[in-house]
Amino acid sequence: MKIVAWFGRLTISENGKVEECNLLAKDPELLAAHMLLAAGSEDLPPYGLNLRELAIDCGYVELEEDYDVLLRDVCIRAAKRQISMNDADDKRIIQAVEAMDDIDKAANELSERLTEWYGVHFPELDLTGESMARFVVNFGSRENVPENHDMYEKSSTSMGSKLSPLEEDLLRNFATSLCGIYDTRKYLEQYIISNMDIVAPNLTNIAGAPLGARLISLAGGLEKLAFFPSSTVQVIGANNALFKHLKSRAPSPKHGVIFNHPLIKGAPWWQRGKIARALASKISLAVRMDVYRGKFDPSIKEKLERKVESIRKSYPKPPKKFSTKITPPGPRKARNRSSKRV
Amino acid sequence: MKIEQLSDGIFEVIVDDKKILVTHNLCPGHSVYGERLIVVDGVEYRQWDPNRSKLSAMVLKGFDIPIEYDSHVLYLGAASGTTVSHISDILTDGLIYAVEFSSRTMRDLIMLCEQRPNVIPIFADANKPRSYAHIVEKVDVIFQDVAQPNQAEIAALNSKYFLEDEGHLMLSIKSRSIDAVSNPKKVFKEEVKKLEGAFGIEFEILQRKELDPFHEDHLGVLARLFVDENLKQQNSFKS
Repeated sequence: MKIVAWFGRLTISENGKVEECNLLAKDPELLAAHMLLAAGSEDLPPYGLNLRELAIDCGYVELEEDYDVLLRDVCIRAAKRQISMNDADDKRIIQAVEAMDDIDKAANELSERLTEWYGVHFPELDLTGESMARFVVNFGSRENVPENHDMYEKSSTSMGSKLSPLEEDLLRNFATSLCGIYDTRKYLEQYIISNMDIVAPNLTNIAGAPLGARLISLAGGLEKLAFFPSSTVQVIGANNALFKHLKSRAPSPKHGVIFNHPLIKGAPWWQRGKIARALASKISLAVRMDVYRGKFDPSIKEKLERKVESIRKSYPKPPKKFSTKITPPGPRKARNRSSKRV
Repeated sequence: MKIEQLSDGIFEVIVDDKKILVTHNLCPGHSVYGERLIVVDGVEYRQWDPNRSKLSAMVLKGFDIPIEYDSHVLYLGAASGTTVSHISDILTDGLIYAVEFSSRTMRDLIMLCEQRPNVIPIFADANKPRSYAHIVEKVDVIFQDVAQPNQAEIAALNSKYFLEDEGHLMLSIKSRSIDAVSNPKKVFKEEVKKLEGAFGIEFEILQRKELDPFHEDHLGVLARLFVDENLKQQNSFKS
């Protein structure tokens, strides 16, 4: 029987003795490379072999300690190589999506603070978010607003308190960093849009770059997303609603993050579930195309559009609302049992 | 301070009237994940938090820990190496193979391995023991903490490849990762039943206890590989 071990190739007789051995040099880098290659080999050892004994039998190492030290060194090197190879494009997109979430959270909080603080000085200013931050960066105190500016009248008759120079500096600084955050968000968005086209062209075509990126992020990778059934794609991001549905008699969620797709968002409520199902199935198809074929195929989108059109035609009017309580799915058996006990 | 040994390398110290589980620090001065270092009689120990480590919770729950000073251990689902570091403390003359399949946590694990001479990192999927069969030798103990729906199968497969006759398997079963909805007790029962012989390998269940209050909906199991004496004799006769 031929086997491959991390230290070389061996031929073993039936009673477990080494007949022939082709050992590798004791160079950790070489051994690490061999270790990674061998993981896909067909001659991997079967059940019940003791590699340590074999290594000593064939004279590769003399002492058990040598075996430990060498193996550890090689394994660390091999694992390091694997990690540096593991850095895939979809992982970067996940980082970018998550960074965008963090930025949204931070920007929201900071802009709220700016509104509060600057509002003491200029309460009549009805700007929010980014435009407000830009305003503060440009003018600082409201006295600096020029006569030809829209806000001039409001600023000259404002009931707000005066701003000290120190405070003005502070607020300007604060607003500058906030603007920086908004800029970073724009860069991130551009990055995601341009990279999604490369990483998953079909998915981007169907779902759009931001939604596609979010799906990848929620699934934890492009390949994982490809493994999901389309029913999972449909409700991904609606975890709470889904578990509520599975645990109790709550209705099942119609859509998770794919709700943000214009096809669903723009549809009337009675079509949304149907469109969500169609969209999810096409997203699944597109992702699998991206992962396994890597070719761009515009026909998926055409089919989706046809399907959505037929849904719209078949259900032009809202159904009558149920007067009686709907009996949704759920673990009914368990319910019955517990009610008997009572 | 009073110190008492519970099992090989695992100690209990009483600090401020509180019992604290500790292991003897293999690389003094280093705290791996921010745990407290306690010096007793000039020897440094590391606090072992049962809320972070399932093995620690198992010790406190009264399991007979089969890990000895010179054991060889295969650890499936090593993550960042929190528990691995403590097992490494215990194994002054042993070896631990730490299998992990996430590159994020593997980064931390490799840094740990570089500090500790008895930890061997393996970047592989525990579902496919064959993919590291050319690296791992026969071990005395397999510890599994993978939180996968097919946990029992993973444990059985790895035991088939790597567990010594009458070697021990320790695992923590997370009911929520097997079935998030049904009753944990039911899930535990089914999983233990699977271990007792559903995968062509039999285990003798020595101890089983839930790990609350440290870990919710987790069951700790200590099992021994069951070896059929008749079969064994036949095999030895053959060779």
